[in-house]
Amino acid sequence: MGEIRVRREQELLPAPVTGGENLMIHRTQMTHASIEEISSSLRLENSERSLLPAFLVELSSKTMQQVNGRAFSPRETSIFAMSIDDESPDAISALGIDDSDDCETIHLKPSEESPVAAVDVSSLKIGETETGVLAAIRGAVVWRSDQGYQYIRCGPLAFHLGQSSDEAASSIALGFGSSQFFTERAISRLRNTLERWIQREICSSLQNAVVLFDGSLTVGTPDNPSAHLARIMESARERGSVVLAFSKSTKLCAFGRRITSLVSGAQAPCVVDVDQAVRGQFESHPVRLAGHVYVAKLADNGFAFRLDADRQVPQQERIEAMNRLIASDVVMQGYPETLRLAHIFSTFTANDVIAVQRHLAFAHGLRIAPRFNLRKSLFGPFGTWGAA
Amino acid sequence: MQLISFPEEEVNKGDYLIVEDQRSHRGLIIQVIDIQFANIPGILEDILRDVMTEESIQGNDIDPLDISSQVAVLKDTKLLLCKIRGALENGHPTHDVSWLPSRINSSVSKFPIEIVASEPSPSRPILLGGIKQNPKFTIDAKTLDGRLNIVTGKKGTGKSHLSKLLAMSLLDHGAPCLILDVNGEYTNLTRRASGESSPYEGKIAVLTPRLSLRFTLAEVGLGTMMDILLHALDLPGTSARVFARIWRQLEQKNELTVKSLGEAIADSDCHESVRDALQSRYNTLADSGIFTDDPSAANSRQLLERLAAGEAVVVNMKNQSFMIRRIVVELLLSKITELLSRNRLRAVFLFAEEAHLYLRETYWDDIVTRMRHLGIFTTFITNQPDTIQESIYRQADNIFLFNFTNERDLDVVARAAKIDGESVKLLVKDLPAGHCLAIGDVVRDFPIVVNVRPLDVEALGGTRYFFQENSIACPK
Repeated sequence: MGEIRVRREQELLPAPVTGGENLMIHRTQMTHASIEEISSSLRLENSERSLLPAFLVELSSKTMQQVNGRAFSPRETSIFAMSIDDESPDAISALGIDDSDDCETIHLKPSEESPVAAVDVSSLKIGETETGVLAAIRGAVVWRSDQGYQYIRCGPLAFHLGQSSDEAASSIALGFGSSQFFTERAISRLRNTLERWIQREICSSLQNAVVLFDGSLTVGTPDNPSAHLARIMESARERGSVVLAFSKSTKLCAFGRRITSLVSGAQAPCVVDVDQAVRGQFESHPVRLAGHVYVAKLADNGFAFRLDADRQVPQQERIEAMNRLIASDVVMQGYPETLRLAHIFSTFTANDVIAVQRHLAFAHGLRIAPRFNLRKSLFGPFGTWGAA
Repeated sequence: MQLISFPEEEVNKGDYLIVEDQRSHRGLIIQVIDIQFANIPGILEDILRDVMTEESIQGNDIDPLDISSQVAVLKDTKLLLCKIRGALENGHPTHDVSWLPSRINSSVSKFPIEIVASEPSPSRPILLGGIKQNPKFTIDAKTLDGRLNIVTGKKGTGKSHLSKLLAMSLLDHGAPCLILDVNGEYTNLTRRASGESSPYEGKIAVLTPRLSLRFTLAEVGLGTMMDILLHALDLPGTSARVFARIWRQLEQKNELTVKSLGEAIADSDCHESVRDALQSRYNTLADSGIFTDDPSAANSRQLLERLAAGEAVVVNMKNQSFMIRRIVVELLLSKITELLSRNRLRAVFLFAEEAHLYLRETYWDDIVTRMRHLGIFTTFITNQPDTIQESIYRQADNIFLFNFTNERDLDVVARAAKIDGESVKLLVKDLPAGHCLAIGDVVRDFPIVVNVRPLDVEALGGTRYFFQENSIACPK
């Protein structure tokens, strides 16, 4: 397989305005990889459909047929909203304070390049029917090849999540009863299902790659069973790949402050190993950390992120994976470009929401019913600002 | 009123739509005056995402619901800015609209405006040109009869072409037309584009002051001469009274000639300053070459006979001085008014091109009030809309607006046209050459964009180009 030299990252980036070095951007080294290598390792040409599981497509169709011809109240989109995402924040709430201040700062050095792929999935409530909610999910995979970044976007798929027991049986058997959290949990489970599926496909396709997930490697909740993630990471390890997960927001605290503040004075690129500081707090917790927890600062003046790396991979290999990441990907503002693009491609814009609503009206004969607003009905123009 | 239009729906500015309320069985007739992209939430982000990633990132969509096609539709969705022009109640058009259709129970469709804007079978049809859904849009000559019309637009857009069309069409129906032609554009109306003679030969006479348009003083008469002296030559009142006395004395002696008039002024026993004033005016009149003592060289009778016979007279004032134009126009209008008041003429359609170059200010109001009632129905043609007084615009019955891009010109027209200023500005600034916005009685107050039909006449007066192969004169 011939080696193909791809463009330097500098060629893809605008020149620094000041003429000096842009410290927000980590510039990677020359990439030595072939498109055949990446694409064949991804095995996506012949199996694109497999990134979107057939059972979810069928489930979408089945649940939507339940509401054919009914009325629905569409989600109102604001002209001020640039993008919409119902993604729930980090599942872990704030943790306690650890007395130890002994966290190791590890400086990263770009090493040899390797394939980098990122996965992200978004979900969104599209509207409401009399018997449930309409939701949509969409996933995206972005990876680097010698032709630049490439992506596959999966979805969106629309679902009707019925709240009555008989509808739930014919819709999605999630067993949540009729609790008020049904909607959020059902959507969350759908999103996790698609996300894990795509992650599994990617991890079982790539060789010697760095695979980036959005969020943390925290498992053990009913919607996020640990076995699924364990199998995905095992599949990655079998192929020499390492899973790294970036959290855009975290509530994890150590030494009395948020863990992301621990690297504020450190020289980038570096990570701070906070695993010991936070791990002990999970011993009696139902959820479990499947990843070794770091705080990463990958670019000077960039942001700090919680970074989880596959716990089953030795520390040296985890650090080496990070070295390969900063050698292979643009790290803008401290965040990997592949993961940023995956997020952009999966996130719903208000335009997407209207498009899905239009599809529902055409394909399923759903009629748009104006949303009843008790406050407006009672108070007219004096009751529209949400005052108590 | 604003409407959403999806990409597969072809709608253009100026088109008419009908919003039919299914419950009340009424329809609102609206006109599209502007088309914009619908400002759908998030559209900018989508476009930015496309633009920012189209070169640096490639990929595929697994999109079983085909949502991307819906997104594409939304990106190209248009917002139609419309104005309410009337309504259809029980099949009858009306301009009285005091209701709004339901937003939910209404359907929108294209409306063939010609069915309400023109007679289905006019007794005196004038084929104006094509409109969007009808290549043969016809108006009734009656809608120009007794009316004040304005044709305006920037140069090269087809104003004179439309004026020729209107004049020739009126001529087809036996209406007399007097055309005041400052650029010599109407002198070859009897010639086809191929140069052959047309059926209008013999129906249109071209008269050129000093050459083929001359008058004896007796034909002119004292009243008309006084108009010329007072209004065209600014003779003071005192001097005018002396002139009238001299004129009457010569008439009594049956010696009213150009020569004897000059001698009588020179010999008059009036104050020196009065004599000088009269002498200078006389010299202007004598030098103009319009007046003759030879009755066989004078043709005012022929001019009036042709008008009375329902023919057209083109007064070619090309290359004539400002003073001669004023004298000629003053003389003609005064003479025609006199004949109309004596019922020797039924009416005359006057086409006045760039009238500010020869029409005195007091005539503007006179034309739209007194002369109109006598039977002079004027069509003003100008590329400088601010040269026509606002009071004239307000009294205009029909306005044919061609393209204007200059904001000041648009402001002038928008302020005075018979429709709202926003419509004028939005519709007129994008009109292609040869298209006009017809407003007023000719279209029953439903403003319509008309592609003026070609005429088979020899083109004159179009812009002369140095690079002939690239010439794109006004529509033929």
